[in-house]
Amino acid sequence: MAQLAETPYPPLSGNDEVLFHPIERTTRGFYITVAILLFFTVMMVVAYITQLREGLGVTGLTIPVYWGIYITNFVFFIGISHAGTLISAILRICHAEWRRSITRAAEVITVMVLLFGAGSVITDLGRPDRALNVILHANFRSPLLWDVCSITVYMTGSVIYLYLPLIPDIAMLRDRGKKWQWLYRLLAFGWSGTERQHRLLEKGIAVMAILVIPIAISVHTVVSWVFAMTVQPMWHSTIFGPYFVVGAIFSGIAALLIALAIIRKVYHLEEYLKEIHFRNLGQLLLVMSLLWFYFTFAEHLTTFYGNEPEEMHILMLKLYGPYSLLFWAMVIFCFIIPVGILGIPKWRNVTGTITASAFIVVGMWLERFIIVVPSLANPRLMPSQGIYLPSWVEIFISLGFFSTFILFYVLFTKFFPIVSIWEVKEGREKSLQEVHERVRTYIPHPLKEG
Amino acid sequence: MVPNDSEFRLRVASSRWIQVCMAIGLIALVGAGIADPSRFWSNLLLISYLLLGMGLAGTFFVALQYMSGASWSVAFRRIPEALSSALPVGAIGMLVVFFFHPSLYPWSQAASAEGEGLTGFKAAWLSLPFFWVRSVIYIALWFLLSKLIVRSSREQDLDDSPRHTRSSIRYSAMFLVAFGFTFWLASMDWIMSLEPHWYSTMFGLYNFSGLFLGGLAAIILLVLWISKTTGLRDFVNEEHLHDLGKLLFAFSTFWMYIWFCQYMLIWYANITEESIYYIQRLHGFWEPIFLLNIFLNWIIPFIVLLPVSSKRSRSTLAKVAIVVLAGRWVDLYLMIFPALHGQTPVFGLWEIGSIVGACGLLLFFFQRALGQASLVPLNDPRLQDSLHYHN
Repeated sequence: MAQLAETPYPPLSGNDEVLFHPIERTTRGFYITVAILLFFTVMMVVAYITQLREGLGVTGLTIPVYWGIYITNFVFFIGISHAGTLISAILRICHAEWRRSITRAAEVITVMVLLFGAGSVITDLGRPDRALNVILHANFRSPLLWDVCSITVYMTGSVIYLYLPLIPDIAMLRDRGKKWQWLYRLLAFGWSGTERQHRLLEKGIAVMAILVIPIAISVHTVVSWVFAMTVQPMWHSTIFGPYFVVGAIFSGIAALLIALAIIRKVYHLEEYLKEIHFRNLGQLLLVMSLLWFYFTFAEHLTTFYGNEPEEMHILMLKLYGPYSLLFWAMVIFCFIIPVGILGIPKWRNVTGTITASAFIVVGMWLERFIIVVPSLANPRLMPSQGIYLPSWVEIFISLGFFSTFILFYVLFTKFFPIVSIWEVKEGREKSLQEVHERVRTYIPHPLKEG
Repeated sequence: MVPNDSEFRLRVASSRWIQVCMAIGLIALVGAGIADPSRFWSNLLLISYLLLGMGLAGTFFVALQYMSGASWSVAFRRIPEALSSALPVGAIGMLVVFFFHPSLYPWSQAASAEGEGLTGFKAAWLSLPFFWVRSVIYIALWFLLSKLIVRSSREQDLDDSPRHTRSSIRYSAMFLVAFGFTFWLASMDWIMSLEPHWYSTMFGLYNFSGLFLGGLAAIILLVLWISKTTGLRDFVNEEHLHDLGKLLFAFSTFWMYIWFCQYMLIWYANITEESIYYIQRLHGFWEPIFLLNIFLNWIIPFIVLLPVSSKRSRSTLAKVAIVVLAGRWVDLYLMIFPALHGQTPVFGLWEIGSIVGACGLLLFFFQRALGQASLVPLNDPRLQDSLHYHN
């Protein structure tokens, strides 16, 4: 007892050396991974050049299916981007101590995946230069312009939000004096870790965390309005805004879990990304799965209740028609399997959460596809156009987008620590003390008799 | 040390004015019943739905705290628990409307023009027997789970066992899932089907956002009142008020987000079948009420609660909560009355009387429920955390 009183909490040591290993040591596995990813990137370039030379005729896109898997990817990628900012910002604002080692990994997803979200729209254009028309001939009543605005703001905000907490870590890399000195010196902005700098940094991070939440919500709401502001059956649905936001956070957490599991395994970060992180994120994922189902149920049952002929036609195509396989796969992947796994507490471990996440990522992509394609293929004023199938060009461009996103992510981990070192340190030094002090105040006279 | 037992029971205060309120409400309803039966039924529907919502919001708040493992709110948890006693009161009012005057809903009369237009699933869904069965199931489910949550919390006072917290968490999970799905259906059945040809996928969520916003305002007012007049004052401090203020601010903004998503999409698409709903509500004297709704539910709370200091001030919080509660009534008035009373808004003695009566009923049952257990859940394992809570 007396000994306990002297050392109130077990001292946590560690120089976090392992967090620098990914940057300073390069294994053969890294080169192999990069080579595989680069292969798909090259294939993407070949496919895109074909599309530019031959025109959109090489894709499966037709009239009226102008949007196929490119726009599906766009909605999906923007959705994944909600991982970072929202998860990390919400956890920061709620002072969730367990966030410390996962925020960076989440924020990087946001910044990287946004590039590909925006890029997906460009690939859907036969003349990519005409993308500028949105700005040159702005139509302020068009949700496309709103999209460009909100995604640009989001991108800017997310980069700042990623960069600010990175500064002390960059300074650490600069001071170690190993690789890329000039780069780290430039990016560290003269950080020397004084109290004033810390105070300003904390303030900046806090402000960004608050700003980024409404921005992220607005982004996916506006993305949903690209669909909902038309009068297309099953697109024009008032619930679309929050429905898309919920789906985005849902798929974002799943993507984050997969990223964390790979980082943990490859870089041996078991000490930093513990079971508890997966358990907590698994709980969040379970809640989001239920919420997603709530919205899906609300959307479809209300449409069923509304009983409008054009809407019912598309609803039936989804429930029983040619899209039914995809539709029910989505329900199973996004709801039945995840709830089945995550609903059982002892399965909320690394394997369980990763399995659920893998299904969710696929299921959420299917969800976006099922929203985009059937409504386009069956417009109000034209006879039904049958089913849309993507061509090899679209498939390779999509695969390339995924692989290049992963490549960028991998490269990030080669230059910057994927776990926020200073925040982990701060947690070890300050937060433990704070918790100890707080708990002490509850107990009238701690351990006096002992 | 936490002092024990009886001094923390609420002495059922001189509740003369609560009785007066209830009497006024009764007179207003009887008066309306004789003078203008159609307004009697609309007011009964509105007030019952409002009270039911208050009860549900109380239970929802408690369930949410259990599920998220929150400790800050334990000190005043008995307030939302007692608020849930409004649930059966509102439910009885709703059932009276459904069983004694179903003709409030145009679809219930096959002969009416509206009723004939329904086909397929909608015709089956909107048939009286099915409607009654569904309504009874929703209400029974909420009532049962709400009772279980409150009971296990009170039992902990007696035997100090943490197993009650565990069972509360289990009941809360069941309640949240059941409530989520059934409340959305209920709002569609009870309110949206007043205009059976109009539908919006957002409607259930919109109703939930209003329900919880109004419920939070009621919880804040009751916490302020009870912590001023009883021993609860030693347990509730600015930190708790600050968090309640934050929640009110957040859900006011959430309400606006949902409101805007629904309104903007319908306005922009301009499909006649849909926009008729808003055209009716923006017509003539309805328009100022339409705007008032946004002011009461969002603009005023948003601007006033923005600074930290106002979230920690008892008097500011109380004023904002009253504004939001008024907004809750106006919001429901805008959902129900244009459908039933058409061109011009009606507002008079019957409406004022029923509002006063509803306040009286709510407070009467709240006070009674609060008196049945200790004012603070003394044996809750998280109580100490709550008492030492810092923002």
